[in-house]
Amino acid sequence: MDASIGIPPAVTDETEQFWTNAAQGRLVIEHCLACGAESFPPRGMCRKCRGRSMSAVEVAGRGRVYSFTVNYQRWLPDLEVPYTIVLVEFPDHPGVRVIGRLRDGDPQRAAIGLEVEVGFEPGPGGFAIPSFAAVEGAG
Amino acid sequence: MGSERFEQRAVISGVGQSAIDRVVPRSGFQLTLDAVMAAIADAGLGVDDIDGLAMFPGGGAANLPGYANGNLYEVHDALGITTTWRQGQVEGMSLPFYAASQAVATGQARHVVVWRTVKEGSAARLAGGRPAYGSTHPEAEGPLAWLLPVGALSPVCQVAPYATRYMYEYGVTREQLAWIPVTQRLHASLNPDAVYRDPLTVDDYLGSRMISWPICLYDCDVPADGSTAIVISAVETAHDLRSPVRIEAMAGVIDGRPSWEQWEDMGRVGYATAAAMWARTDLTPQDVDVAQLYDGFTIEAVWWLEAMGFCGTGEAGAFVEGGARIALDGQLPLNTWGGQLSGGRLHAGFGHTAEAVRQLRGEAGERQVVGAEVAAVTNVGGIEAGAALLTRW
Ligand SMILES: [Zn+2]
Repeated sequence: MDASIGIPPAVTDETEQFWTNAAQGRLVIEHCLACGAESFPPRGMCRKCRGRSMSAVEVAGRGRVYSFTVNYQRWLPDLEVPYTIVLVEFPDHPGVRVIGRLRDGDPQRAAIGLEVEVGFEPGPGGFAIPSFAAVEGAG
Repeated sequence: MGSERFEQRAVISGVGQSAIDRVVPRSGFQLTLDAVMAAIADAGLGVDDIDGLAMFPGGGAANLPGYANGNLYEVHDALGITTTWRQGQVEGMSLPFYAASQAVATGQARHVVVWRTVKEGSAARLAGGRPAYGSTHPEAEGPLAWLLPVGALSPVCQVAPYATRYMYEYGVTREQLAWIPVTQRLHASLNPDAVYRDPLTVDDYLGSRMISWPICLYDCDVPADGSTAIVISAVETAHDLRSPVRIEAMAGVIDGRPSWEQWEDMGRVGYATAAAMWARTDLTPQDVDVAQLYDGFTIEAVWWLEAMGFCGTGEAGAFVEGGARIALDGQLPLNTWGGQLSGGRLHAGFGHTAEAVRQLRGEAGERQVVGAEVAAVTNVGGIEAGAALLTRW
């Protein structure tokens, strides 16, 4: 399925690192150098201690689907439907949630608690967008 | 706690609306003037009595085609008045009368008109369907930068995962939720200004097309053209007013992450607001005679039923099932004008407020709830939330 029809993100000082890493297949979040807490989306400030020194760390482990929707509506001309949107949380990164597509989406496959691998696919404007894949044997 | 509650120093004195329909072939500006003039007359005031103006949204917010219309200064110029207080709201407004109540309670103005004009019905017609969120801009900015690029192109897709989660956690079914749009359509059949007035059945609902699972066509409000204006006056002017309505209590709290995809649990969105509102009154949920609860989607009304304490958490499905409790003669008549699901997406709680005022005055025509003395009004836009109790003068 083609996920490139749509509206690209405006890239800001805060989000540039995310999109640059996404293009290389890496999902990065913010890590606070003062207290170690992790934050997403990037704000340049730790949501736990309000520290301003943040580094990027990669989320590489598996995630779990907090919830999902299967979109059937063609909101834009040429948008390919249906596709599944998932909210994914990560057992190794408490408090971090990332929205993306469920790749290779048999809509019936989507389920709360489904185990997924981090990944990306070509999105609007040439950006790589978060796109998760169900772990084989899961769900 | 009575005298120090600022909202009791304000009253809602007038409500007025333009023609409302899927498409009204007049400019948003003319619809705005229609509603403003109607609201001022409804208050029993003259245009020259108005010394405050506010609109939603203020400049710069046009994420949806037809969402934002007009300009406060052009309305000011058309009315030819002098004002001592003005406000344009870009982010959520909590409630249409929230800031204006503060203005008249603190003496910054005596009579404020606030309005909301939508041309989303015309915009949908032009787009050949309901257009994408953000499609007025080439790039997705702010919180939308995470949502639109992955295909969460509408508030429908953005709220839907939380509906999925809510139904999963509490075992609430679409067969139960159907009773909200079905019952509200029955109410709309008694409202000559509602956009859709033909009967709707549970089977119609279950057979309708899916927009973004689990939200189907009839779970979504109706893009419409129309304007609603509300006049808020200082309580000491009551003797000049035709039929004022009291603001018993109101509150607006954000206690979660204000991004669509980051909410810990969107079903909790109204709880802190409702708790803050109930803390400002001796009235209880049992005292409410009629409820106008924001229904951009069916699921939002569900969450408000629970947050406001009209039923327990996870119990709204059982509460609305069969429709009897939320009917005009039920224990909690819900969205008696049809709500946004049938009455039209007048947005931001404006339609809900207008209906609450009409019910409390006994001016709701065939859909009048007998003996309505206390009305609940809520609004939610994303995580922006507001709740109020209005009472008969
Ligand atoms: Zn920190």
